[in-house]
Amino acid sequence: MTTELAPVHVARLDLRERRRSLIFYPLGLAVYAMVIVALYPAFKDDSGLASLSEDNSTLMALFGASGSLTSPVGWVNANLYTNFVPLIILLVTIGYGASALAGQNENGILGLVATLPVSRTQLVVAKITAMAALAVPVSVTTMICVLIGRSFDLPIGLGPLLGVTVAIVLLGLVFGALALAVGAATGSRGTALGVTAALATLCYLISSLAPAISWIHQIRYVSPFWWATGAGQLGTGVGLGDIAALVGTTAVLVALAIAAARHMDIS
Amino acid sequence: MTAAIVAEGLTRSFGAHRAVDDVSFTVEVGEIFGFLGPNGAGKSTTIRLLLGLMRPDTGSITSLGCDPITDSVALHRHVGYLPGELAWFANLTGRVILERFAGVRGLQETTYRDELVERFDAELDRPVGQLSKGNRQKLGIVAAFMHRPRLLVLDEPTSGLDPLLQDSFARLMRESADAGATVFLSSHELDEVQRVVERLAIIRDGRIVVTDTIDGLRRRAPRRITLVFDRPTDPAAFAALEGVTLTHADDHEIALAVTGPMAPVLQCAAHHDVVDLTAPPTDLDTLFLSYYRDDHDDD
Repeated sequence: MTTELAPVHVARLDLRERRRSLIFYPLGLAVYAMVIVALYPAFKDDSGLASLSEDNSTLMALFGASGSLTSPVGWVNANLYTNFVPLIILLVTIGYGASALAGQNENGILGLVATLPVSRTQLVVAKITAMAALAVPVSVTTMICVLIGRSFDLPIGLGPLLGVTVAIVLLGLVFGALALAVGAATGSRGTALGVTAALATLCYLISSLAPAISWIHQIRYVSPFWWATGAGQLGTGVGLGDIAALVGTTAVLVALAIAAARHMDIS
Repeated sequence: MTAAIVAEGLTRSFGAHRAVDDVSFTVEVGEIFGFLGPNGAGKSTTIRLLLGLMRPDTGSITSLGCDPITDSVALHRHVGYLPGELAWFANLTGRVILERFAGVRGLQETTYRDELVERFDAELDRPVGQLSKGNRQKLGIVAAFMHRPRLLVLDEPTSGLDPLLQDSFARLMRESADAGATVFLSSHELDEVQRVVERLAIIRDGRIVVTDTIDGLRRRAPRRITLVFDRPTDPAAFAALEGVTLTHADDHEIALAVTGPMAPVLQCAAHHDVVDLTAPPTDLDTLFLSYYRDDHDDD
């Protein structure tokens, strides 16, 4: 009997269980993104909005907007990529990460799965695979909507857009893997959610306030949000360093999740 | 016979609470082994240790010749596990769950699974979250048995099943054992256990208090004797005998539980005017309950 495909079957169980998230998050985000894209022609020449964003940089930074709000990149960043899309992706990945081991253990499902011929390492691989499968549609749907934006005077470069699409999935995996690791280490879904959400909020604030506050600007590199979209990657493109930082952090956290899962008490 | 499970000095604590304390037992291949104890006695923790779901603090356990922690994949390939508090993916149907479980096991042959589904009338096409406890349990039975595992670990398997299905399930365990499988049957109910097992261990407060065959237990069981006298009689003379416990006494009647030899009791009775003597057959339930309470310390 071969069990190399075991993680795939385990991932499919979780994805099937969450098929509503799999459909409705991308769908909801598509609706929102299309509204944002379609509204652009109405706002692009709005001088009031332009001056608002220029005169209140700290306040705007808090909402993830920096630079011109009325430029194509500024508009899409401020309305999608520096706040709303990461928020949705993180809701999906952190929520799943916290429940995938700790939550399933709390409600008793994990014992059934962990007594199948699948190692703890394979179990974590299955969970990360499912996590990526939940995050990718959200990011890709947004990308498609932004591409459609080209018909609404919203020319975003394809290269940077593809880069951000990948980076934002990786951003989701960073925090999702953290939730998975904290859940495996503590056995508590609530702790995993709380710790990860708090850290994600902190990292978001660091990235979004960096352009406006100088001492935060100096520590901006500690925030995964900065690596994904915070440094204006939608305009300048995602660098190899950004991808390496996101992939490397995810890999370290997955390794920690595996170590924690191997010692986890499953009931 | 060779051993399917060997546990030696297993100890596992959660904080200050010792859930399992120096537990040792051996289960032979092909045997149906009962593991009895009140709720919270350490049964489920022992099961988790033998499946490698948890690590012991001290002691060792070998299941099917494997270390459950380092050889978990090899062990789980041959294990069917039915947890005590069975939970499922609520949004999935039984069919999807069984397909995925079979996928993980690399199981392509579905004849036996289909036979089990039919035999237990398992509902496969509704989301598990909508099923009754009994129907969820049937699905658990199919999932645990469908790959004909060499070791079945069953935690309170018949909870939620009606008496007819309990019978069906007892037959299924018997058949599996006859085909060479080892069954580790954990329960808090003697009835569930005594009709199928050859041997059992009783666990209380994390410690094994007795391991024996059903026949052996019957021999150990205290014999109940009720003596009726024609005049008020002092029970002290009986209570002083070795292996005798006074369970009831009034002016004319004395009830005793005797674990030692019977002759001294009869000799003592002969000195009084006994008008009636009853000794009902050995009651395993009573013995069992006595192990549940504090009557047998560190037996």
